[in-house]
Amino acid sequence: MSRVIESDVCIIGAGITAAMVAERLAERTNASITIIEAGQRTASLAERTNTRARMLAYGENPYPNDHIPDQTGTGNMYRQMVVGGSAMHWGGAIPRYSPEDFRIRSLYGVGCDWPISFDDIEPYYQEAEERIGAAGEQGPEDCDPRSKPYPMPPLPLSYNLARMREWTDSAGIPFWTQPWARNTEPYRGRNVCQRCDTCAVCPTGAKYTPDFAFDQLLAQGRIDLVTRTLVRRLALEPGTDRIAAAEAVNRDAPTEPIEFRAGTFVLAGGHAWSSHLLLLSANSRFPDGLANRTGNVGRYMTGHWYVSGFIDLPMRLYPGIFANNSLLTHRFASPGPLDRYVRHDIRLWESDVGRVPRLRNGDGGLLWGDEVMADWRERTDSGATARIRSYYDVLPDRDSRLTLDGANTNALGDPMPRIDYRPAQASLDLEDHTHNTIFGRFEHLARAAGGSMMSRRTSRLWEHPGGGCRMGDDPATSVVDRWGRTHDHENLFVVGAPTIVSSGCANGTLTFCALSLMAAEEIGNGLGGG
Amino acid sequence: MPRSRRSFLKQSVATVAAASVAGCAPDGDGESGAASDGGTRAGATGTRASPLPASTLRAVGEAVLPAELGDDGRERAVAAFERWSDGLEPVAELAHPYLVPETRYSGPDPRPGWAAQLQGLEKECRARFGSEFGEIDVAARRNLLAGPVGQAGTGLGSPSNAGHVAVALMAHFFRSPTATDLCYGRVIAKQQCRGLDGALGEPVHVAGSEGGAP
Ligand SMILES: Cc1cc2nc3c(=O)[nH]c(=O)nc-3n(C[C@H](O)[C@H](O)[C@H](O)COP(=O)(O)OP(=O)(O)OC[C@H]3O[C@@H](n4cnc5c(N)ncnc54)[C@H](O)[C@@H]3O)c2cc1C
Ligand code: SF4
Repeated sequence: MSRVIESDVCIIGAGITAAMVAERLAERTNASITIIEAGQRTASLAERTNTRARMLAYGENPYPNDHIPDQTGTGNMYRQMVVGGSAMHWGGAIPRYSPEDFRIRSLYGVGCDWPISFDDIEPYYQEAEERIGAAGEQGPEDCDPRSKPYPMPPLPLSYNLARMREWTDSAGIPFWTQPWARNTEPYRGRNVCQRCDTCAVCPTGAKYTPDFAFDQLLAQGRIDLVTRTLVRRLALEPGTDRIAAAEAVNRDAPTEPIEFRAGTFVLAGGHAWSSHLLLLSANSRFPDGLANRTGNVGRYMTGHWYVSGFIDLPMRLYPGIFANNSLLTHRFASPGPLDRYVRHDIRLWESDVGRVPRLRNGDGGLLWGDEVMADWRERTDSGATARIRSYYDVLPDRDSRLTLDGANTNALGDPMPRIDYRPAQASLDLEDHTHNTIFGRFEHLARAAGGSMMSRRTSRLWEHPGGGCRMGDDPATSVVDRWGRTHDHENLFVVGAPTIVSSGCANGTLTFCALSLMAAEEIGNGLGGG
Repeated sequence: MPRSRRSFLKQSVATVAAASVAGCAPDGDGESGAASDGGTRAGATGTRASPLPASTLRAVGEAVLPAELGDDGRERAVAAFERWSDGLEPVAELAHPYLVPETRYSGPDPRPGWAAQLQGLEKECRARFGSEFGEIDVAARRNLLAGPVGQAGTGLGSPSNAGHVAVALMAHFFRSPTATDLCYGRVIAKQQCRGLDGALGEPVHVAGSEGGAP
């Protein structure tokens, strides 16, 4: 017999989107909230000083036990399954999507419009920025619209970025400081950034990670956080389409099932595991998986691709001052009318590429001691390097798909996810045009500095992935409505990355958080909060 | 009394460390070579004695590290390498690459091989010159090292992946914040907790290098 744990709201997954939902519900309702996380806790803030040191010295994973060995899929997906999710490791770049992202069909005749507009999501962007603690600089209003200032001033430009901004100004392209989830002032009990430049693991707590939110909610007695517990399927109430329980096992006692019962279920499992759980939960009423009456679960898996390069600049810079800050422009994400569709951001970083010490000179001769230093100085004296990268949006095909992979099972015998991403034909048709346009802008920038492109590359890694449970007004083509409520189950919400329609040309997590807060508002309304 | 570049560096790094907030990594001694001397590995059995023959390693250091470091600087760089090597754990779980669902591990322990290489240098030196490696001049030492070091590529990558101990020692030093500051002649102090103030200013000269890189 199963052990039963009851609550008003059951959240599956303890990543950043879960943190948003839990925080808002805890503040605005009296609901009891249980969060189930398959992973466990990883390095505490106090331990991160040491794990950071080991990462720097030996490349070791700074987050021990941040994944589950037998719980892994095939295709582009994060390895992390841990309290805090992937946002323990994240860099914390938190741009908003552009207004155009939500209306690309209406404006440009490609892809699909979202069921919400930028204006609909804007207040939730602001709320997410306040919860996370965003430090940012207002860009030009026509390409960086916002109704309120950032909660914190931006990270200061380093000497390098300030010189680079003079250069981009001379090229006539407005750049501003990347918004970050990093404190420039003490914020919500966390430290100010110390510019130690290892943001994958932050030893000061200046970077937001979701464990801070969970710790606070636990201290307030507002949540129960059940770790090392994997939800294997969602079960229906007999005779209805409502979800009755999340059936789970504690990984330390896999033969003793646990049943989590709740009035409302929130699936916050991230871009891969959310669709996966719905597909795993197939039953006689929903033979293709829950929320999947119209066969859309696992489809339209999406993300953005990028082009990048290095620019040789005739200026004196000092790489290492602050490699984890960058300049950003969304000018080309809000391009106005277009003859042919192409939208992208551009980011710029200091870089030491081409200017690091080496063992051989340009002729292949071995260098020793002072010769290494002299060769290195020659290359740093002759100029500097900038790293440049653009995300551009790729429209997903309906068959860009997550499926259950019977050939790859976990220790419990459950099939693991397999993701086969596929771009829509429209994106393939636009690929050369996109690359040529963006590389043309890179060249323009390089020329404006009197510099040149050192190298360039294209990538089809689906970054900031999402999809699988996309939102829409029409159940025939979507899985959830604008609030993340599944069309098929009134008490089941999917939040964040899985619900996006397309992934724009900006890092996605702030949008995932804003969408989760929209869902939390709808859930809260149902609980007498808001 | 004018300070030397080395004493300036030592002091500036100490100042940076003192300004750090609680929770900021100490970043080793900054002068030592590595961005960090490594921290402690959870579950590790503790620091081991270096298995690398100390005097031969120092003699290699004289041949492959910059003479401008001086004897003290080279000693600090070699000692930092030894501490780093002591803390190295073979087959450790590595940081996950972005969006890769597999777990990756570091390679096997390179230290027995490195120790054997140092012993081999001594043997060859005795056979050829009838003296210890540290007793022949630097040019002759480089001649002996040229064969094995010549098998390495162009880059100085992660020291733990270096096939030869001389390359590991060079990689460990030249990838360090100290080496970067020496190269630029400026106190950049990369990856050290430096605070946000001061990010905008051009890094100050390493004492003794005003007017350009030394
Ligand atoms: C190195 C790195 C750098 C990044 N940098 C940035 C950046 O700068 N900017 C940006 O926008 N994004 C960045 N990202 C991406 C960002 O981290 C993710 O978009 C975000 O964390 C996703 O949050 P989530 O809540 O949707 O899902 P996740 O973080 O994946 O959390 C979901 C959690 O649910 C749990 N779970 C899933 N299924 C179950 C189940 N069946 N039972 C129990 N628990 C379950 C998982 O274990 C996991 O912990 C980065 C990611 C990485 C790895
Ligand atoms: S640079 Fe700032 S945010 Fe990044 S790791 Fe250091 S203290 Fe944390």
